[in-house]
Amino acid sequence: MDGQARYRRWYRRLLGLYPRPYRERFADSMEQTFTDICRERAETEGRGHGGFILWIFIETFAGIVRERATDLARLTMARNATNVFRIVKYLALAAGGLMVAGIATVMVLARGTGEDITGVVAPALLFTLLSVVAAIVAAVLQGASHRRGRKAGDDLAG
Amino acid sequence: MASTKSGGPLTPAVLHILLALSTQERHGYGIMKQVESDSRGKVRMGPGTLYGSIRRMSEAGLIRESDKKIDPNLDDERRVYYGITALGQQTLAAELQRYRQVVAVAHERSLLPKVVGI
Repeated sequence: MDGQARYRRWYRRLLGLYPRPYRERFADSMEQTFTDICRERAETEGRGHGGFILWIFIETFAGIVRERATDLARLTMARNATNVFRIVKYLALAAGGLMVAGIATVMVLARGTGEDITGVVAPALLFTLLSVVAAIVAAVLQGASHRRGRKAGDDLAG
Repeated sequence: MASTKSGGPLTPAVLHILLALSTQERHGYGIMKQVESDSRGKVRMGPGTLYGSIRRMSEAGLIRESDKKIDPNLDDERRVYYGITALGQQTLAAELQRYRQVVAVAHERSLLPKVVGI
């Protein structure tokens, strides 16, 4: 197979790793640019341009990582922040509830035995307190995120 | 970044792309070649950086896709041409003015001969 055609096929596959909206908008142009670069290098340097092609692949891969990271950040910040905070809130409440149930169980089991359960109950109470604080913070952030999302939606519609 | 709201410095990639588009509309490969030429070969921009910058600059309103699609010397309809917007021109002018002020300060302090080796 022709070397350039092979490079081009590999590059097309690499471009498939970009997020879909980016790929749909730029993949054809990028592939065309890559073809132009290959053609120019082949004309000026003959076959000895493998290092440059490798650099293009690495540079493009770095671009893919950047775009993926941007997408992920956007997804988390703009669309899923409310859900993330909601999940954190429920997880914190569940952890706090489990701790309370655990403390109650230990207290019932220890009743009448005269065993000192302070060493177990104190850290559990502290964890429960932290869980409640985490749940409250998550609830506040969830509300703020929800309001931000609604405002952004209104701005977009307006 | 290509932020225009903050008025902060532009990244080298954004500055060079704006410079490349300041004289005429160009497609991706044309921008790469012009950047290489403008920087005397010192700035080498790959497709990953170029098109990532184009996306962000496009979102920031600094550049736009042109209606012109085919380079008469080249024969591929997939080439997309980009042009600088009025906001892009203002941003470029502001950035060049910032550079000019920096150079003026350096000149006042007689730093240029030492730094640049003139």
